[in-house]
Amino acid sequence: MIFSSVTFLYYFLPLTAAIYFMAPKQLRNSVLLLGSLIFYAWGEPKYVFLMGISILLCYIFGRLTEKYREKKAGRLFCLLSVLISLSFLIYFKYTDFFLENFNAATGLDIPLLRITLPIGISFYTFQIISYTIDVYRGTVAQKNLVDLAAYISMFPQLIAGPIVRYSDLADQLKERPHSWGMAAEGIRRFMIGLGKKVLLANQMGELCAAFQASGEKTVLFHWIYAVALCLQIYFDFSGYSDMALGLGRVFGFRFPENFNYPYISASITEFWRRWHMSLGTWFRDYVYIPLGGNRVGRMRHLFNILVVWMLTGFWHGAAWNFVVWGLLFALLLILEKLWLLKLLPKCKILSHGYVLFIALISFVIFNGPGLGEACSNLAGMFGATGIPFLSDETLYYLKSFLVLFVAGIIGATPLPRHLAEKLSKNTVGSRILSVTEPAALAMILLAVTAYLADGSFNPFLYFRF
Amino acid sequence: MNTQKKDMAVCILFALIFATGFFLCVFFPKSEYSYSERRSLASPPVFSASAFWSGRFMSDFEAYAVDHIPFREQLRMFKALTAKNIFRRQDNNGIYLWNGFLTAMEYPLNEDSLNRAIDRFRYVCEKYFTENNNVFFSVIPDKNACIARESGHPAMDYALFEALASQKADFAEYIKISDLLESDDYYKTDTHWRQERITDVAERLARAMDAVLSQDYEIRTLEHNFYGVYYGQAALPLQPDSLQYLTGKAIENCIVFDWQNNREISVYDLEKAKGKDPYEMFLSGSLSLITIDNPDAPADKQLVIFRDSFGSSIAPLFISGYSKITLADIRYVHPDLLGQFVDFENCDILFLYSTLVLNHSETLK
Repeated sequence: MIFSSVTFLYYFLPLTAAIYFMAPKQLRNSVLLLGSLIFYAWGEPKYVFLMGISILLCYIFGRLTEKYREKKAGRLFCLLSVLISLSFLIYFKYTDFFLENFNAATGLDIPLLRITLPIGISFYTFQIISYTIDVYRGTVAQKNLVDLAAYISMFPQLIAGPIVRYSDLADQLKERPHSWGMAAEGIRRFMIGLGKKVLLANQMGELCAAFQASGEKTVLFHWIYAVALCLQIYFDFSGYSDMALGLGRVFGFRFPENFNYPYISASITEFWRRWHMSLGTWFRDYVYIPLGGNRVGRMRHLFNILVVWMLTGFWHGAAWNFVVWGLLFALLLILEKLWLLKLLPKCKILSHGYVLFIALISFVIFNGPGLGEACSNLAGMFGATGIPFLSDETLYYLKSFLVLFVAGIIGATPLPRHLAEKLSKNTVGSRILSVTEPAALAMILLAVTAYLADGSFNPFLYFRF
Repeated sequence: MNTQKKDMAVCILFALIFATGFFLCVFFPKSEYSYSERRSLASPPVFSASAFWSGRFMSDFEAYAVDHIPFREQLRMFKALTAKNIFRRQDNNGIYLWNGFLTAMEYPLNEDSLNRAIDRFRYVCEKYFTENNNVFFSVIPDKNACIARESGHPAMDYALFEALASQKADFAEYIKISDLLESDDYYKTDTHWRQERITDVAERLARAMDAVLSQDYEIRTLEHNFYGVYYGQAALPLQPDSLQYLTGKAIENCIVFDWQNNREISVYDLEKAKGKDPYEMFLSGSLSLITIDNPDAPADKQLVIFRDSFGSSIAPLFISGYSKITLADIRYVHPDLLGQFVDFENCDILFLYSTLVLNHSETLK
């Protein structure tokens, strides 16, 4: 089930919220767990069992790791839990990729397994790993299986993050406050995310689809596509994160922020502190630092960066374009650490331009669908394929999406938030906001419902990860 | 309003919206058919263990929930208006509005599809026709050919399309009609051409086939409104078209037989004119094989038209010039079966197809 669907908005959410708030406090985690299982089963009925097994193993190994923490066995149980979780992820996500490459390298023809990727497996596997390692490092293991299952399978963030670390949620699972303020904050955040997803990301996705279907690609159309893609990926993923955070607030949880206006960054280092922050934090805490982080020799430090970013790319998908995408960032981060970070602050315009340029290039690689297609699109951006610069079709799409581009570009900056904050500090502005804000949120919901009723284009990009 | 009251207002407002939405979705009366989109709406999913485990129950429920959302037509219109007026999108679901005309952006040119269509026509030629048959071919440009020239919307290269079509169909004499058609010759809300405005097209085709048509027509107008297929797809609030048809002595006296359903029908089915798709009043819509016998014909001259839905409205205009007209739609009948019903000996043959079919020829059998 996806958030931007009639089923979720008008069937699942009202029912789940009603039952949750009517249930006694001690049963609320059970309600959340049941809701989450239904939510997951709606899209992947068979894979509920896989998630169930993963949760059960996580619970058992967590308890064992805690019990034998001071002994060698504790380390062994922790390692076993991590390996089992990773083996599930590798089997379901990467088997065909390895087989394809093995076949290509050896000339063999081993048939591919064509396994359907369980939705959200990359996200919940990382949560399970973080839990087990945190327990090994000293966090108290969860004794209540329902609470642990509710943490791992919690529907607001189950299938596309943010990746919530157990230590961030442990206390909230036990006891969390509910208030009008929190619920209202959650509703606002959810509606904004829903609007980002359906009204901006989906429409940008339509433009990307039109580009891919076009038989008359031009240089300008390639650049329009790259900008549309950047906006689509940002609004799609940050919209989903907003919805997750919003729902979390409604149910009394505070999840970590996942996006903080990444396109205003002045360096790639800053970009990755603002983009998919929960993934970056996860890799920092569970891969980069255990590898030695920056407290090692220069070469080893650079190697650590390379490993982390290759894995980050590979986490996003089992294809070479994702690996190249990760390595591109590794290279840039290394260059920034060695030289660029000293130079970039000297020219603000240049540094922002550099980040946006890299974002455009990197997401064209990211979107593939393969390395060949990505290279062909990059060549098209620079006119290397002999295509014309402009055509009537390109101008048509530019005109048709101009308002959305302007709205998207402004929406990707903190300008609307600053404006709202400024208004709320002013007495008259605050009065205006108190009336217009609920009306604007209701209008967003109405517009989203209208777009959904029309059966418009509605994929979620991060479901494939 | 203090912050707490404001927060309470937001919570109560959205609790009410979602609760109302839920009850409306569950209890609002459901329709089985969408007249604007001319399609049956999804039926309620049937629960079974196999449907659940395969995921079919869930996907069926999703389709059902979207199809039966309360006030769906109004919501679709709201979406179309939002896209047009707020986001300034130049089309909605590939349909655009220009000077009151709703048009689909038919592009790009699909040469493979055109080749496939020509191959199917060639197959028919080789199977049935001899040197005694005069074979003709004509392409009807869709509305986008006229409108996109003015509006700047994407369009295929229609001149190239026609040149390719005439060049590839070397088994037939090509008759150009595109220069006779302009935007007003099409319905504003539908794909098709207006019968009352294509007498010149019929005349040119007939002259090329050495037939003489009577131009003595009486124009009749249907009382009720005609909302064409694009009206439902675009979901914009627009004025309907008026549907007119031409009649005359030859049209009124002819005998029309529907071989698909083995029954006699009339040239203009006024019951269908009141139905889901009023354009189906022309020769009862999409039928695979029809014959029209004209007992008052001046000479024994026969015509076989291989056609799509555009052919339904132009065929009546040929009646005065022929003793028998056969209309075959090879989207609905395989060409191999035609020999059982049609005697092609000495007939004139006309392949008359719109670019909408030729550019998506996977529908041709």
